[in-house]
Amino acid sequence: MQIAAAPARTTLRQMLLRAWHEHFGNWVERRIPPARNIVLDHRNIFIIPNKQGLGFLLVLGLMFIGAVNYEASLAFALVFLLLGVFILSIFYTFRNLAGLHLSAVPGASVFAGEKAEVIVILTRHGVRRYENVQVSFKGSRKASCDLLEATEQRMVLYVPTSQRGYFDPGRLVVETVFPLGICRAWSLLDLQSRTLVYPCPVECDLDWILANQQHSGNTTIVRGNDDFHGLRDYRTGDSLKHVAWKIMARGQGMYTKEYSSNIDEKIWLRWDMFADLGTEARLARLCWCVIKLDTAGIDFGLELPGLRLSPAKGQVHYVQALQALALFGLSAGLPP
Amino acid sequence: MSKSKAATPVISGENFQIPRIAFAWLLVSVVAVIIVHVSRLPIWLTAMCALCVLGRVLIWQGRMSHPGNRIKLAVVVLMVVLIIIQFGRNVLSTDATVGVLLIGITLKLLEMHRKRDVLLVIYLCYFTLVAEFIYSQSIPIAFYTVVTVVIITSALISLNQSPQAQRPWRTAKLAAIILAQSVPLMAACFLLFPRISPLWSMPLQSKNGVTGLSDSMSPGDIGELARSAEVAFRVKFSGEAPDYSELYWRALTLDDFNGHQWRRGLTLDMPQFLGSNPADTRPWFRDMEYKGRAVQYNVILEPTYENWIYTLALPQIHDERMLMGRDLQVNSIRRITQRYTYDARSTLDYRADADDEGLSQRRARRLPSDSNQRSFEFSTQLRKTVPSDEAYVQAVLNHYRTEKFYYTLSPRKLGNNPVDEFLFDTREGFCEHYASSFTFLMRAAGIPARVVTGYMGGEFNPYDSTLTVRQYDAHAWSEVWIAGKGWLRVDPTAAVAPQRISQGSNIALKQEKEFMNNEIFSLMRYRDSRLLNDLRLQLEMMDYAWNRFVLNYNQDMQFQLFNSLFGAVTRLKIVLSVLGFMLVVTLFVVLVIFRKSAQSKLPPATRYYLDFCDYLARLGFPRRIGESPLQYLERMSRQHPQWRPELEPITRDFIHLAYKTNKPDPFLLQSFQRRVRRVRLLS
Repeated sequence: MQIAAAPARTTLRQMLLRAWHEHFGNWVERRIPPARNIVLDHRNIFIIPNKQGLGFLLVLGLMFIGAVNYEASLAFALVFLLLGVFILSIFYTFRNLAGLHLSAVPGASVFAGEKAEVIVILTRHGVRRYENVQVSFKGSRKASCDLLEATEQRMVLYVPTSQRGYFDPGRLVVETVFPLGICRAWSLLDLQSRTLVYPCPVECDLDWILANQQHSGNTTIVRGNDDFHGLRDYRTGDSLKHVAWKIMARGQGMYTKEYSSNIDEKIWLRWDMFADLGTEARLARLCWCVIKLDTAGIDFGLELPGLRLSPAKGQVHYVQALQALALFGLSAGLPP
Repeated sequence: MSKSKAATPVISGENFQIPRIAFAWLLVSVVAVIIVHVSRLPIWLTAMCALCVLGRVLIWQGRMSHPGNRIKLAVVVLMVVLIIIQFGRNVLSTDATVGVLLIGITLKLLEMHRKRDVLLVIYLCYFTLVAEFIYSQSIPIAFYTVVTVVIITSALISLNQSPQAQRPWRTAKLAAIILAQSVPLMAACFLLFPRISPLWSMPLQSKNGVTGLSDSMSPGDIGELARSAEVAFRVKFSGEAPDYSELYWRALTLDDFNGHQWRRGLTLDMPQFLGSNPADTRPWFRDMEYKGRAVQYNVILEPTYENWIYTLALPQIHDERMLMGRDLQVNSIRRITQRYTYDARSTLDYRADADDEGLSQRRARRLPSDSNQRSFEFSTQLRKTVPSDEAYVQAVLNHYRTEKFYYTLSPRKLGNNPVDEFLFDTREGFCEHYASSFTFLMRAAGIPARVVTGYMGGEFNPYDSTLTVRQYDAHAWSEVWIAGKGWLRVDPTAAVAPQRISQGSNIALKQEKEFMNNEIFSLMRYRDSRLLNDLRLQLEMMDYAWNRFVLNYNQDMQFQLFNSLFGAVTRLKIVLSVLGFMLVVTLFVVLVIFRKSAQSKLPPATRYYLDFCDYLARLGFPRRIGESPLQYLERMSRQHPQWRPELEPITRDFIHLAYKTNKPDPFLLQSFQRRVRRVRLLS
């Protein structure tokens, strides 16, 4: 009986917790509607004494007992002085957020599983200064910044992604415990920064696939062939074998060597190439193919149900293909 | 800092780096907290604290590593053993507790691995400040504590600053500002927060180093006190003060003599409780007669760690905390370990125990028969020459006056028959010699007599007309019992050194080498310089006010204040007024904190325009940095053409008011303000 009761209680607790989170989430959604630019003020700042604050109050309680028992007037005065500090710290902490302008800029697109980059911009108007304001997304590290002489700070946050599609990093947590660390003021902001996340590439045997393609005539691809074609910016997913190390060693940046194949072929990447796989698995492999073919500098076309990209090559085509893969089947741009 | 909870799952202790400024302020606060206690701490404890602080600095510099668990355990065991050896049975005394607290703080310095540890040290520092006040609450200590609180608060603030913060004084300034702003709150709470009586009695701190009267008197005891100028108590008379020569502050009645030492004998008479319960009065207490004018006064007593209370004879006190014996000695029920205040009323002309010759009179004739034989003979001879007991008293006083007796602080040592040796051989002594020998001579002639110790005189401060009684005012005199008149005060010292009684020991003993020997650095030594003496008296006046109105602010004064503010005291009113006061004061301070200091210096038109920009920013369209009003208008109009009719006149008016006129027309300004205030944009 007891053994059975324990998990039941846990689930109940979890249920309550989840219900609370959901309720709180909805409430926050209503309270602080999403916006590209948000000014922090009394409508969207929450403030409450934290654990250290409770510790501070505990110490004050002990000091008060000491003052009572030793009947020491100055000890009373000291306790009341620190009590005043405690009360004022609520306002000071609030002031350390109030009036701050926040906005966010999404960084470059990434592949699912990588960390998406979000740049949070904090701006102060007027004379008030801000110290040790921390910003974080769920799953990112906390970045702290001061706005003393500077009027603007850009904080880069890296948020882990798991799914393709438009990635919403969730609400940005802006918080501070400055100056005394006994109160925590925070706000949860939806700054509408969305990053496009491509599917996570999964390796597959490209040669075999292409060889078995019925619609293409000559499908011989000589990979890594020796005709050096040129250099282009390194992109995530490029093989490290093709990085122009000599150039990088000179400190001139990371470039990928491109080789042209002398076979002028139109390769089609098709949805039904992986007939026995599910949607996400197909997209993942197609994504890998796209990266490979782009690296190799080969023209390719992409054919998905309801979408057709004619064969081409180059940065624009590459991005278009990846976007198509990222957003395939997603109506509102949100993950399924 | 333990910044990233999610990103790096485990934050190991070594990762936390205490910010430089926080570290500096923390060390300063620990040192500041310890320093005031150093004079009371055993030397090894101070040395240990110093070593720990030094060790922490070395760890910070990287010249030493954190001590391992074994070393830490060894140190803790060593400290426990040393403390037990040092304090023995008093291991729970306040001294020992403070010692343990300080050692704890400094040892904790050595193992600060997490932010929590640093915080603990800071909180302990705050807590230790209370310990300071157990020992002293003087004005200098109060100032020192204020500075220390600023330092500790700076440590707390810098712990919460970002690691980039590099300016320690800015942190201290912020701490000072926050503390200054909480002073009004403190004052409100201090005045109105209900004072509670102690929850349990605290372990007594040792009496070591407290100078004062003791419960017995042997030759040389009171002379010893003349070395000290410490304050014994302070008195404020309401109404006219009595003559200086009437200021005999009674403390102890000593009626048991063993040939060398006087002490208070056991008595069968139950003491009288001085709280108001007239049904329970002792017959002897009822029979006392109070004649003539009564003197009203308030006494602030420095802690004596004893029970007795100082009063002018004969006191009429209503105080729940006191008892009065049949020998007129007044005692507090609890030992006086804190500064103690009481109001008293004394009738200097009185009759006590006049008609009843009972046990106490018989006891007051008793003498040890095996010593001081010469004095016995002397008194028998003298008594035969005079007709009455009262004449005998005068005869003995005359003997002191006419023979060559010296009043001195450093008399020769006395042997086994101290009274004989004093009266016939050395003839030099301090008040206790005279009181003792006089009482002896009375008893030898069959007259009931006893010794009374206490203080005589004091110093009137012309600035606030308070009387400060110091240890060197300690005095001993006699009381003789005459049938029909009761107990009468006789001071044989007055016969030898009338100056002592009329002007105080301050004047009478000025030339003595021993006098105030303990006060090498005190301003008291420079009483001859008028300027310095004036300064000293003014400082003492401040000290008195501090004692009377700050340190002794108690429930009674609170109730009085409350009464004058809100009428009758009820619990609800107390709670409401405390909360109300705190609310009002907080609101006031918050207004101060949030005042737009720099903006209010801007011209009004600019201020209104910035309010308008704030409004737009709240809608999600802040003005960009460096964007001019016109550019802003253009951008907004492109994004929201429907707003243009609202935005354009505001921008145009602002440009007109701010840039095109030297002195804006108040009417235009007002309409501009109204326009800005009324603007409502629909998104």
